[in-house]
Amino acid sequence: MHEMNGYAGQILRLNLTERNVSAIATKDYEQWGGGHGIGSALFWDLVADKTINAFDPRNVVTMMTSPLAGTLAPGAASRVEVQGIGPQSYPMEWFTRSNFGGRFGAMLKYAGWDGIVIEGRADKPVWVDIRNGDVSIKDASDLWGLDTWETQKHIWQEVGGEVGYGGWVSLGSTKSGGESTQRPAVVAIGPAGENLCRVACLIHDAGHASGQGGFGAVWGSKNLKAISVIGTGSIDIADPNALMEARLWSKKYYAFDSDDPVKVAKMGKYGRVRLNSFGYQLAPGVFWKWPQGSRPSACMGCHAGCYSRYDTGLGNEAKCITTLFYSEFDSKRHSGIVVRAVFSLLERFEQKGAAVLFNMQFGKQTSAAYIAADLLQKYGINAYELYKGLKYIRELNRMGVLGPGKRIDCDLPFDKLGSTEFVEKLLRMITYRQGIGDDMAEGFFRAAKNWGRLNEDLETGLLAYPYWGLPDHWPYDPRTEIEWGYGSILGDRDINEHDFNFLYWLSSLSRWVRKEPPITAEAITKIFSEKLIPYEGDPLMLDYSTENMYSGHIAKLVAWHRHYTRFWKQSVLYCNFLFPDFYNRNTPDKRGLTGDGEPKFYNAVTGKNLSFVDGMQVGRKIWNLDNAIWTLQGRHRDMVHFANYIYKVPFKDGSLTKSYMPGRKDGKWAYISLNGRCIDKARFEEWKTEFYKLEGWDPKTGWPRRDTLESMGIGYVADELESKGKLGIA
Amino acid sequence: MATNKSRVIQASKGYILVDTKKCQGCMTCMLACSLVHEGKENLSLSRIQVIQNPFERFPRDITVAQCRQCPSPACVEACPTGALHVDIENGNVRTVKVEECNGCRECIEACPHAPHRIAWNFEEEHALTCDLCANTPFWNKQGWPDGIQACVVSCPVGALKFTKEMPAQEGDSGYEVNLRGKTWKKMGYPTD
Repeated sequence: MHEMNGYAGQILRLNLTERNVSAIATKDYEQWGGGHGIGSALFWDLVADKTINAFDPRNVVTMMTSPLAGTLAPGAASRVEVQGIGPQSYPMEWFTRSNFGGRFGAMLKYAGWDGIVIEGRADKPVWVDIRNGDVSIKDASDLWGLDTWETQKHIWQEVGGEVGYGGWVSLGSTKSGGESTQRPAVVAIGPAGENLCRVACLIHDAGHASGQGGFGAVWGSKNLKAISVIGTGSIDIADPNALMEARLWSKKYYAFDSDDPVKVAKMGKYGRVRLNSFGYQLAPGVFWKWPQGSRPSACMGCHAGCYSRYDTGLGNEAKCITTLFYSEFDSKRHSGIVVRAVFSLLERFEQKGAAVLFNMQFGKQTSAAYIAADLLQKYGINAYELYKGLKYIRELNRMGVLGPGKRIDCDLPFDKLGSTEFVEKLLRMITYRQGIGDDMAEGFFRAAKNWGRLNEDLETGLLAYPYWGLPDHWPYDPRTEIEWGYGSILGDRDINEHDFNFLYWLSSLSRWVRKEPPITAEAITKIFSEKLIPYEGDPLMLDYSTENMYSGHIAKLVAWHRHYTRFWKQSVLYCNFLFPDFYNRNTPDKRGLTGDGEPKFYNAVTGKNLSFVDGMQVGRKIWNLDNAIWTLQGRHRDMVHFANYIYKVPFKDGSLTKSYMPGRKDGKWAYISLNGRCIDKARFEEWKTEFYKLEGWDPKTGWPRRDTLESMGIGYVADELESKGKLGIA
Repeated sequence: MATNKSRVIQASKGYILVDTKKCQGCMTCMLACSLVHEGKENLSLSRIQVIQNPFERFPRDITVAQCRQCPSPACVEACPTGALHVDIENGNVRTVKVEECNGCRECIEACPHAPHRIAWNFEEEHALTCDLCANTPFWNKQGWPDGIQACVVSCPVGALKFTKEMPAQEGDSGYEVNLRGKTWKKMGYPTD
């Protein structure tokens, strides 16, 4: 088909204003790899004025796959990176990213497209119908107002026609257009996006969400309801045998085996909580009681089924925080008196993690928890905002500040919290901006500002929104999980990259079940640090002690994390659930496949000879380009600060009794408790200087420098920064 | 008109069975099938099809459609050129000699199962059948008749099984098998 193995060769360019469809040659952007790299490069080229806001028609949204999409590469077969200026963050609407799985990315590749660029604004609601090379921008007046699930079913009906599904559907004429048994892969917004809720997201199938950033509202501002794709084409693979063998290699040596009693028994030791490892646990990443009848479900080509589909049809494909959003409230309302008493105790001592586990084992779950998740999907609302936001308004209600007739007048029946009635009303209020829902639709940070509570609640941490007006990612608090907090504040969003969380779960979870961790702190940090190429061999990068948290070692950790995720996870699109694989209990030496695995699949598909460190260098280049974009948006190091509670309120979230991470104490490695800790603002300032120097940025401003950019072959970025008076000084 | 109607068609010596309730809908089998046979990735070129509705209730949310290696293969009967034939040298697997296929699609029309189990290569305009990996030019492993099948070995959950015994032909239940044991139950999933 074309020269670029793995790639489709062209990127679909949609101009919604002109209703124009064209193509961009992927070759022009190949140096950026795929996904995020290409998305940032496209944004750089196509958005001249980077100070525009998210709802400006000149905002460009990119949806990019990678050369691995549609192939056997585990965890990379169907992820899509979404980028553009997002309305969710505060005070700046940062150029940001989100990501979703499922099967859309693969189907886009089979249709002959590496990605999609969305420009302009349609004058009326539209949806985009992609059938291989045939792309139509169609009237969406029949779809506007429908929830995301109904939208998808309508589109399936239109594309599948009378044949329906269960057979083969032809694209074009039978012989020339190809056939597929698959339903079109559709991504859509719900009414929340249509109503420009900053907390609105994109939804694909039942539960795959481009959740962060507010891209649902950006689509709504563009009058874009949905994009549907069905493809019957092929992706060329440079070395098919190598790809097949790589897949079997990863399965044999590194992956979980649900038929292996030894591996299943090991999983059982820690209950169903996932410990990050390659395809470690088939059991899904959900935090509600499992209905009896279900199957594990997986994105296309993935080894680990991280979600489920149920015999009730409720909660299909929901995962992670979407399942946690309402499950505890449901359980607290409907469980027996003893269980409710235990919940109260756990809450009193702020044992959030224990409460989650307790609920999964002993709580009574009704349909409310699953319906709540489904409503988030259907309305197209960001689960994290609602998870933290509901806790926030519930506390305000308990304080007597918010409620019917209160100072913050909120017509919600808090006495029915945990019921289906409550959550239906809450989500409807937000989606349709009814009453106080109009404030909440702006995100709870802006809502708190409107209610006159922002400063106070950020001082105490009652509003646990530590960075850029966005909710924290419990239990990965900036005060404890430092690479998470630092990476988030130096970037644009809650990073949501779980690469090092295994260190937390290993130590903290062990304490909950009163067992010794299976490996010492010294040993685990040694294993991890071996793989932190090109900074390998420095275990102090994983010393989370207070003495070390402002050090150059941590600067290297954060830099490694940014570069690795920018390329291998957000551009090549290896899923966050499977990668990186540092420590793997399936292997004799406990080493995971990171370092070898990422390039192995990539090179088998593309025919290139990219090393792991080559990829890290591309990741560094991408990270630099992103910082250039943020700089042009108006970033300065003086803005790079956490909410005040991070500096003033000692961390005391009891999750699983205490929060432990590896670190050195009196010169010896141990799993150390991080309770009682804050970030020291002055020392953080010093650390930022060290980080900026490590990255080759101007420490006075945090802006990229010409010598750094030119060393990576992107001197033109320096030219643009210089023309705007925003070039960092060496 | 089939030219081979008069001869006795020997039963295949191998069949693929599936535990649809165990399937996680990842389509790894389809990706593997397409890759080893065609050297590229394309769901439409896979000889095994996984069809799913994400909004449907378990277990109706997934259907797996593999070739049944029918004892009385309508596809072989229908083929006017003999391209789709019984490969006696390879365990009687029903397979297509691509170079002899004239693209008439009679085999596809003749397949009594929905979705039809013959795939269609629209780029090259010929039929594709499951040959139990007898001919996998893009994979160095030994397939049928003495070796392994790409779909079976690549399935992450072990939802596919190869067997030499002919399944019951009436309905679909003969091609379904329960592969969920104690470990599946321990993980909290149903085993019935």
